[in-house]
Amino acid sequence: MATDQQEHLKIEQLQHQSQDEIEVIAGRERENLEGWIPALASEAEVRDALEKAFDYRGDVTITRKDGSVVEGYLYDRHSASTLETSVVRIIPTPAKGATTTATQRVMVPYSEIAALNFSGRDTAAGKTFEAWVKKYWEKKAAGEKNIQIEPEKLD
Amino acid sequence: MAVPVSQAFTVMSYVLKQKLKGRKRYPLVLMLEPLFRCNLACAGCGKIQYPAHILKAELTPEQCWAAAEECGTPMVSIPGGEPLLHPQMPEIVAGLVARKKYVYMCTNALLLKEKLHLFKPSKYLSFSVHLDGEKEHHDFGVCREGGHDIAMEGIRAAVAAGFRVTTNTTLFDGADPNSVRRHFDQIMEAGVESMMLSPGYTYDKAPDQQHFLGKAKSRRMFRAILSNRKKSWEFNTHPLFSEFLMGKQDFECTPWGMPTYSIFGWQKPCYLLQDGYADTFQELLDATEWENYGAKSGNPRCANCMVHSGHEASAVDYNFSSLKGFIQTAKRYMFKPTYDDADAMKLLNEWPKTSHGPLVQIDNAASTNVVVKTTVQESSAVSGD
Repeated sequence: MATDQQEHLKIEQLQHQSQDEIEVIAGRERENLEGWIPALASEAEVRDALEKAFDYRGDVTITRKDGSVVEGYLYDRHSASTLETSVVRIIPTPAKGATTTATQRVMVPYSEIAALNFSGRDTAAGKTFEAWVKKYWEKKAAGEKNIQIEPEKLD
Repeated sequence: MAVPVSQAFTVMSYVLKQKLKGRKRYPLVLMLEPLFRCNLACAGCGKIQYPAHILKAELTPEQCWAAAEECGTPMVSIPGGEPLLHPQMPEIVAGLVARKKYVYMCTNALLLKEKLHLFKPSKYLSFSVHLDGEKEHHDFGVCREGGHDIAMEGIRAAVAAGFRVTTNTTLFDGADPNSVRRHFDQIMEAGVESMMLSPGYTYDKAPDQQHFLGKAKSRRMFRAILSNRKKSWEFNTHPLFSEFLMGKQDFECTPWGMPTYSIFGWQKPCYLLQDGYADTFQELLDATEWENYGAKSGNPRCANCMVHSGHEASAVDYNFSSLKGFIQTAKRYMFKPTYDDADAMKLLNEWPKTSHGPLVQIDNAASTNVVVKTTVQESSAVSGD
């Protein structure tokens, strides 16, 4: 579930307009979370940070209280009444050269998390469209053909 | 008929069985996402933003078949990502067809022509080609010039080879109804069986966060597009969903109607929102807090959604929930109304034409001294063609 902070533009719009009367819906305000290391000092901070980690479209690095580290894509979380019963689920980043099957999953209870780092690149950072528009018009004006955004290389 | 009689009969008997069993929540179409990677990077898409190791991951054919059997729907839609990038896609499709599932394999068709020989024509298989409008609109929407021409080549090749071919068009703010209507003519002329149309969803991860249609504008736009329709146009959407888009019906969302299975598991609650994953379909049904979704729930992420995956299932359910719904639907299928509407025609003829080029509008286009214009005007004499 996205936080109110993440959804505040839409919430604000809906407070002033009926959803049936809206012409163009507000988008989402982006947070720059890449590289963020949340404090995790209180239970509320732990829950909020892990909610944002679930929403984040890059890999994260979790350091457990026993010192072990898990790096990967946090694809799911279950927030229960206590930190002991709440868990995140992670698909670990494969070692270089390893084949990817995404079959390995790691579960970490919230209560075992000592540190969280939004370590991977945010793949939804949102600059692509602006870059595309700029590049498109520049290339179009220069008479170029077959202009396109290439999907990122995966290797 | 927009779909084969056998498919209509299969779906009808499936829904009636669910009703007779008294199932409150039953799925209609499985949205099977065997991979997330794509050969396009569209501005309105929120499906492909993942780290490389996630984009490289795929469901196995066995996982795909197990998901189809587990949820039990008569129809399976295969979006993605681009399904044709999955090396075992022909095997996945063949396995679903062998299980007598009606498969809609969604594709941007960039690879369709070259991979066509890997598939076998069947009444159970339809290629659902994603085309976002006329050439200029589609190419800009998918951020690739030439994409429309390649897709049309793929469509023509598939039709010539005896495959069922349908199309899927998603509209964003800035879409030109006149152009969309010309687009319908073009794709019907190419031999496409039927078309699907839907407003774009406000994907939080989409690169473009400025141009998602609100409900008021969506209804106006779809009224302009779908009123005074030509008899030659065939749609594979439920007729009452089409009326919902035009503002003539009011449906709440049925988020469990088209459940999604991907490498992460069963997505809560629906194809469009990600609030976690369940390991089994039953867990998805039991563990999702369904009351938190749909426009009436107050969830801001559902506020402007009119997408087919949530609302077409509502139309189908309404169809089978009352005699009134059944009669309404039967009439639409039998008499195929053209929805003659003088006000909608006026709306269509007065729709601003000069600023609507690409489907995804650009705020600063004027500052770059480039204005895109649509060049073909449509006659107002459209009904009863």
